[in-house]
Amino acid sequence: MTSSDVAVSLRGVSRRFGWFWALRDVDLEVAAGASLLLAGPNGAGKTTLLRILAGVISPSRGEGTLAGVALADNDGIRRRSALLTIGGYLYDELTALENLRFVSLMCGGDTSPTTFARILERVGLAGVADRRVGAFSSGMRKRLSLGQLLLRPVDVVLMDEPFASLDDEGRALVEEVVEDMKAAGQTVFLASHQIGESLRLIDRVAFIDRGSLVFVCAAHELAERRRSHFEGGE
Amino acid sequence: MAKTQKIMGFLALLLFIIGSVVGLFVVRADAAMGDVQRLMYVHVPAAWLAMLAFFVVFIMSVLYLVQRNPRWDLIAASSAEVGVLFTALTLALGSLWGKPTWGVWWTWEPRLTTTAVMLMIYIGYLAMRSFADDPDKRARWSAIVGVVGFIDVPIVYLSVYWWRTLHQPPSSPRSIAPEILFALLLNLLAFTVVYLYLLVRRYRLAVNEQELERIVAHQTRQISHD
Amino acid sequence: MSSATQPVPRSADSAGEGGGRHEFLRRTGAIVWKDLLIEVRTKQSFTAMAFFAALVLFIFSFAMGADVRLLQATGGGLVWIGIAFTGILSLSRTYQSEELAGGLEGLRILPGEQRAIYIGKLLGNLVLLLTLELFLFPIAGILFQLELWRVAAPLAGVALLGTLGFSIIGTFYAALAVHVRARELMLPLLLFPALVPVLLGAVNATTLILTGDPDGVMSSWIRLLVAFDVIFFVVCTWIFPLVLEE
Repeated sequence: MTSSDVAVSLRGVSRRFGWFWALRDVDLEVAAGASLLLAGPNGAGKTTLLRILAGVISPSRGEGTLAGVALADNDGIRRRSALLTIGGYLYDELTALENLRFVSLMCGGDTSPTTFARILERVGLAGVADRRVGAFSSGMRKRLSLGQLLLRPVDVVLMDEPFASLDDEGRALVEEVVEDMKAAGQTVFLASHQIGESLRLIDRVAFIDRGSLVFVCAAHELAERRRSHFEGGE
Repeated sequence: MAKTQKIMGFLALLLFIIGSVVGLFVVRADAAMGDVQRLMYVHVPAAWLAMLAFFVVFIMSVLYLVQRNPRWDLIAASSAEVGVLFTALTLALGSLWGKPTWGVWWTWEPRLTTTAVMLMIYIGYLAMRSFADDPDKRARWSAIVGVVGFIDVPIVYLSVYWWRTLHQPPSSPRSIAPEILFALLLNLLAFTVVYLYLLVRRYRLAVNEQELERIVAHQTRQISHD
Repeated sequence: MSSATQPVPRSADSAGEGGGRHEFLRRTGAIVWKDLLIEVRTKQSFTAMAFFAALVLFIFSFAMGADVRLLQATGGGLVWIGIAFTGILSLSRTYQSEELAGGLEGLRILPGEQRAIYIGKLLGNLVLLLTLELFLFPIAGILFQLELWRVAAPLAGVALLGTLGFSIIGTFYAALAVHVRARELMLPLLLFPALVPVLLGAVNATTLILTGDPDGVMSSWIRLLVAFDVIFFVVCTWIFPLVLEE
């Protein structure tokens, strides 16, 4: 693979918080346009890895690149990736539209009303564009966070527990969005401890446990690998 | 290392005793102010060392922010503690000097006031440290406070100086008798060695404290060694 | 994997890699817009702060007693203490809206120059405090028998310089205090010693404006305020990314 085909390359990436190593010696290579599921129990380090890929935190050790930019260049990384967090960052006193507008202004994205309308339509919030987020349900908030994600085109999309708080319709929406992203050639990372829903969407699975990358395999091989790893059980 | 510390401690004690004896008994009392003036032999060196200690905090904070070596942070913290000690001593002696000399327990004299503000800044530094459990964050945040706080000190001094002297002509410095100067410098040397000794001891202690923290964390969660 | 046939979206190069001053201003503007919009929407809190400030001044004048000369001599100083106390409330609230939204990390996650966040917050705080002062000074004038109308212009100038100094160092320390436990304690603890030059400068300049300046020392205080503002603006802006860092 030439370097332009590699979206993410990590070598020995480790991160500690205080005395605790959340990630240890992660080596990973993901091709451009691929889709990867980060699986593992709670507290395994999935969120930490996503945050490193998002340029929000730096590794304590190790190095890597994302879309050709070194991890050390935090701002460069942030421009090329976008992160959907579990909680989202929404201001209760602002409307849905204004929350989108804020992110756009901060990131240099498109601020035309048609773009916002299109995005709100896409995530099913067109009717509540002018309502304050404080009144939203958690499902609606998730949809709006998804909308914020769509505001700018990036090379690598990172989603942390995207299916949480969503009803069936919402989950279907996430699946559609991920399919669109794949079709557009974006590289997608999904972190989830609900493996079932995600398996359809992704090519490969990376299993993380207690900070270490235990194995990486193709989606269809997962059941077998898990069996052999856990010796016949969850 | 332990032996060097012992020698340093001994030297510090020796110099301190010599300095005190010279200051209290050997040198003549000041003609104008009397025996109270002898407090100067402790008050002035304490003030100087307080400044030195905080300058060390500043330098170590800058070094830490640039290099992120935890050693710089521990030295800074140790120096801050010793510095607070000297600052409190300066203020206490200043107050003691003030009562018989000017009749008041406290004056808004520029240097004294600046010292009081400095004390507050560095207590803030230490408070910052006590409220942070994560060693990296603790080091980084207190380093920031150490840098910004130190930059504030000269500005504070200037502002108080103007406040107190703009309406009065500044008092002209009286010439100092050579033997008083000698006693002063001797005590300054003694106090510097005392400061260094305390700094080294406190630093060693800080290193051990940090190690203890690491071990406790090791017990509480699963972790790999550095 | 059909990465070759589909057009791969490249990150927003059109916005400019570090699009320089334009992006910086836009980000700063976005923060100011957001903060002021939130402030306007939660009208009650501004009114509460104004009321609190007035209350503080009332208590001061109460404590000073009825002697008009005493009131007039101390009024210039006390109004600044009122501003400082109210200012601390205002500062912690600026970051409160971030916390409720999910934390300062929400701002850090968005690409672009992070110092724009500091400047944006600083301007937001400044506008808020200056607006409060539009109420405070007249109230102080009433309570302390001060004649403010005659000297409104120089007073406004001093108010601007002093409030700017307060906002510069206050916004910085408030961002730092967000991370720490017991932040209601840490912020005043850190802030007040650092504010000594600003308070001295503002109080003295205000008092001189109100009671006359026979020795012509006003310029020294102005110079002090300007020096403080410039020095700390540079230092705080420079160091700010370290405060945000995780």
